[in-house]
Amino acid sequence: MSISKKVILVGHFGVGKTSLIRQFVHQKFSEEYLTTIGVKIDKKEMTMDGIEVTLIIWDIAGETDQNKVPKSYQLGAHGVLYVFDVTRPSTYNNLHEQLNHLNRLLPSAPIEVLANKVDLVTEEECNSLLDQIDYPELIKTSAKTGNNVEHAFMSLTRRMI
Amino acid sequence: MSKSLGFEKLREILLKQDWEEREALAQKLNELDGQLNTRDQLEERVNPIIEDQEQKMQENFPALFGPQITETIKTQIKDSQDEVVEALYPIIGRMIKKYITNEIQKLSEKVDQQMELAFSWEGWKIRIKAWISGTPQKELMMSKLLDPKMEEIFIIEKDSGMLMGSFSKNQTIDQDMIAGMLTAIKAFVEDAFKGGEQELDGIDYDNYKIIVKSFKSFYIAVVTSGGMSAEFKDRLDTTMIDFADKVLKKARKGEKEELDQKRLSGQLEEYFNDFENVDQ
Repeated sequence: MSISKKVILVGHFGVGKTSLIRQFVHQKFSEEYLTTIGVKIDKKEMTMDGIEVTLIIWDIAGETDQNKVPKSYQLGAHGVLYVFDVTRPSTYNNLHEQLNHLNRLLPSAPIEVLANKVDLVTEEECNSLLDQIDYPELIKTSAKTGNNVEHAFMSLTRRMI
Repeated sequence: MSKSLGFEKLREILLKQDWEEREALAQKLNELDGQLNTRDQLEERVNPIIEDQEQKMQENFPALFGPQITETIKTQIKDSQDEVVEALYPIIGRMIKKYITNEIQKLSEKVDQQMELAFSWEGWKIRIKAWISGTPQKELMMSKLLDPKMEEIFIIEKDSGMLMGSFSKNQTIDQDMIAGMLTAIKAFVEDAFKGGEQELDGIDYDNYKIIVKSFKSFYIAVVTSGGMSAEFKDRLDTTMIDFADKVLKKARKGEKEELDQKRLSGQLEEYFNDFENVDQ
């Protein structure tokens, strides 16, 4: 059995959405920052519980407010990865509001929230920060080291199938 | 025997039949009363009649009520012309505009072809060549033209951009990615240039042209190469509508498995493999 799922990566600009996809699909990381214009599409095939899953990953240009993202990019998504940067509070200050917006727009799509760039802070700093954010089941990732990147995508895929 | 006893006897003899009849009548009346006032019993008797009437009504509905309904609708439309026009104008307007543009383009192409054929140096050369070689002039003209060809076709879900089916004569790059990117480009154009309910209907790049035909929940994108003519586009349009109507709509109504990607791709191949070779 094979299925295809549309996954969108959303969040503020510069939080590492493109890098996460690069790491997940191509196992590569680059320090160079290239802002995404509009949307970029990638594809990853995997097998989960005997099911061949094709993920069509939409890397959507970062926006401070999800309201500003063209709805047509988000519509029809089967799963969402919301990414923020642990080193920049502005990228997670409006987290709950943004997640509510996405939930309203895509009521049946599961959302995984990724706290990215954890390699740039100490474990203690990271934990106290995540306590403040108060969101259960955050996944701490680093696109640079690859830490938890695959786990994040896998976890979302499991919830989609 | 006393007088009164005799009278009694006489009365009995005379009225016995009447009494019996009255008794039977009363009983019958009771039964009828029961049938009328007990719902179950009444239903038992009346339902077959109602069902019969219903059946007759269904069969003769158009004949019985058709004229009145048509009249009512006519009056309604007449009384609310503004609303009807408001609702239909954008759709019909666009359809007419598209149709007229297409027809004018076809006409203009035909005129161009005739003019070129009649007055160009190329035309004279072909005429002379045809006269010398004995080959019909029409065939020589045709070989000069680069025929338009259908290279690839995709059926894509409108919202998600997921590929529902595809057919390609020469496998190129990943088709899932093409479907996604096409949807993104389409969404971008439609969002960026807010032209109301307008939709992207084509992308041109050099020798290639992508023709996009939008339906309600999906769209069909056809990649063509060569000199695109209005005639070819028209035929492609008709085939796409026909395909959507025959295959996709039937699939939507029926079982989900009809929409299976492999199955749809197979049907696309059946429909479009010989597209260029079919007589116009």
